[in-house]
Amino acid sequence: MEFLTGRQEMPLMEKLGILANSAKYDVACTSSGVDRKGNGVDMGNCVAAGICHSFSSDGRCISLLKILLTNECIYDCKYCLNRCSNDVPRATFTPDEICRLTVEFYRRNYIEGLFLSSGILNSPTFTMELIFRTIWLLRNQYRFNGYVHVKAIPGADPEVIRRTGFLVDRMSVNLELPTAEGLRTLAPNKHRKSILTPMRQIQNGITENRNELVLYRNAPTFVGGGQATQMIIGATPENDYQILNVAENLYQKFDLKRVFYSAFVNVTGDKQLPALPGGPPLLREHRLYQADWLLRFYGFKAEELLDEKRPFFNVMLDPKEDWAVRHLEQFPVEINKAPMERLLRIPGVGVKSARRIVAARRSANLTFADLKKIGVVLKRALYFITCSGRMMYPVKLEEDYIVRNLTEEQERIRFGSDGMSYRQMSLFDVGSFEQPVTAADRIQAAVGQL
Amino acid sequence: MTVYRCEDSLESIFTAIYLAYEEKRDHMDTCISLTDEPILFAEDVYVKPDQEKMNKVIRSLHRIFGEQDYMSLCMALASEDEGKAQAVYRTVVDGLSARRRAGHLFDNLANDEVHRAFAIARVVGREIGHLREFVRFEELDNGVLYARIDPKNNVTAFLMPHFSDRLPQENFMIRDGQRGIFAIHPAGKQWYLFYAGEQETESAFRISEEEQEYQELFRYFCHKIAIEERKNLKLQQNMLPLRFRRNMTEFRDNK
Repeated sequence: MEFLTGRQEMPLMEKLGILANSAKYDVACTSSGVDRKGNGVDMGNCVAAGICHSFSSDGRCISLLKILLTNECIYDCKYCLNRCSNDVPRATFTPDEICRLTVEFYRRNYIEGLFLSSGILNSPTFTMELIFRTIWLLRNQYRFNGYVHVKAIPGADPEVIRRTGFLVDRMSVNLELPTAEGLRTLAPNKHRKSILTPMRQIQNGITENRNELVLYRNAPTFVGGGQATQMIIGATPENDYQILNVAENLYQKFDLKRVFYSAFVNVTGDKQLPALPGGPPLLREHRLYQADWLLRFYGFKAEELLDEKRPFFNVMLDPKEDWAVRHLEQFPVEINKAPMERLLRIPGVGVKSARRIVAARRSANLTFADLKKIGVVLKRALYFITCSGRMMYPVKLEEDYIVRNLTEEQERIRFGSDGMSYRQMSLFDVGSFEQPVTAADRIQAAVGQL
Repeated sequence: MTVYRCEDSLESIFTAIYLAYEEKRDHMDTCISLTDEPILFAEDVYVKPDQEKMNKVIRSLHRIFGEQDYMSLCMALASEDEGKAQAVYRTVVDGLSARRRAGHLFDNLANDEVHRAFAIARVVGREIGHLREFVRFEELDNGVLYARIDPKNNVTAFLMPHFSDRLPQENFMIRDGQRGIFAIHPAGKQWYLFYAGEQETESAFRISEEEQEYQELFRYFCHKIAIEERKNLKLQQNMLPLRFRRNMTEFRDNK
């Protein structure tokens, strides 16, 4: 095969280091969405829930062998480690190396499959072609039946994307930044339209394929695990309301399986990018994920959680608590009677516990002790529920009171962690105790004031 | 009151459940115990494990409550909890008397015994889930993949269907270091369990030449994939408890 660029002599270890390092900021890398039994001959199967095989020191899961095919790139996106104007070591895998690593890691149960992305080498179509060949080799020559996730390269020939789609379990096109303006300033080579085109193509492909599968059971599956995308949070000045609306639109109009949010890490030091003295905006990312779950599993809508006047999430309360304290007229909810949709809106009640409540109350009248067994977080829920018409404690259904109680404990943790807190000052907090001990002090301590 | 004294095995406990129904006991006044702890004013019945009775119980549980709930009962019985037999027994009684359908055996969580069985099964289920993630195979010099685990519960048998479906053409084995159980899967054949007892066999295993290289590669990969700015060891430990790490390739040399 003719696509090597003259760095074959580089040891595999070094290549893996460079190309894993370049891929690590990609977050759309779960191994979920496909349930595929092994066929008894080839290696590999897939589990719908996904399997995380390890966790790195940042606490994120290592599920797939997440690498770039190459980190050589003709584009110059300001936020990206691999931009062409950045002076970093470059490397390119051969398809054989990728296949061998995947298969050998997989049989040792290190990974769940392959996640393959790439910098743009020569042209988008050329790069997509390389990805296609690699996956083809992996599937047909190495007979690998596990999970494969690849990036569709915006601007690549639709035919190559289509053919790749029949080999992989999940495909994703990165939206990169939530708005078109952001994209224009930070990623001059990428356009909103060229990103949305392959996304639409994959969506249509999946729908068509679904209809085909109804007719012909043995038709090949196209991107069986659905498609995903990711957005960088905090590199551009969008607010949470805009981001959440974009996500909601993607779920509704593009039928995405997941939208991932990636707290911006300034790796290039470009002057057009915000400096982040407090580290990446992790709390903001966390709130967005919480809201994302509310959109997908709890029947919330973006405009219920945020609006033009309050475009950012509450730092102290999670989005569901925040919604609940602003809609106290809908509470308290009676656990033994309320329908599923209303149970899901109680802070402290998740999808699983709501289901268990509905199942358990058929055979018994539930009490607060039972709720605890079921797994409801009473610490949060107790302000919003009644069991057989009674609340757990006599609490006031009043916004200020509830907010104070919900945040009290969290506040202590959050402020305590960096040495600042609201606790009572003590004698030892006075600054003079932190001055270094001098020789004179030591003598005085030993012999007293003699 | 009647107490069925069992040994800690699926066969024995299911036989006891069979006997309790066959002898028409008052289920609220009967218990199944795995210990010899005497109970005042109770009539002791020592259970002799009976394969046929066990199979009958398995068949009915399977038919009435479905595959998933039957598996949950088995998971509960794989636990090290002493009250597991009693909890499972009462759960079955509750399920049969309330005529629960498939998939609804554990609905009545307000019942203490049902909740107990549910909680035990959940703990075991989580450990199975964890080990499915964290088992690490090493290639021995004869090409066999070998993994050692030290689980709290007796879960080896639950791991095998997953791995034999995944690696059908590999010779592999998983060893429960705590219980001396080997689970062996010959390439292309059915897997089986093998009790080796206490003998120390690990020193006889030599890893293959390539193995060291792939272990290094994976360790390096794990190191490189972490984002320094997001470092969060607490989160890592929540997701990957320390007790699993001693058998895991990527942590073994970091001690």
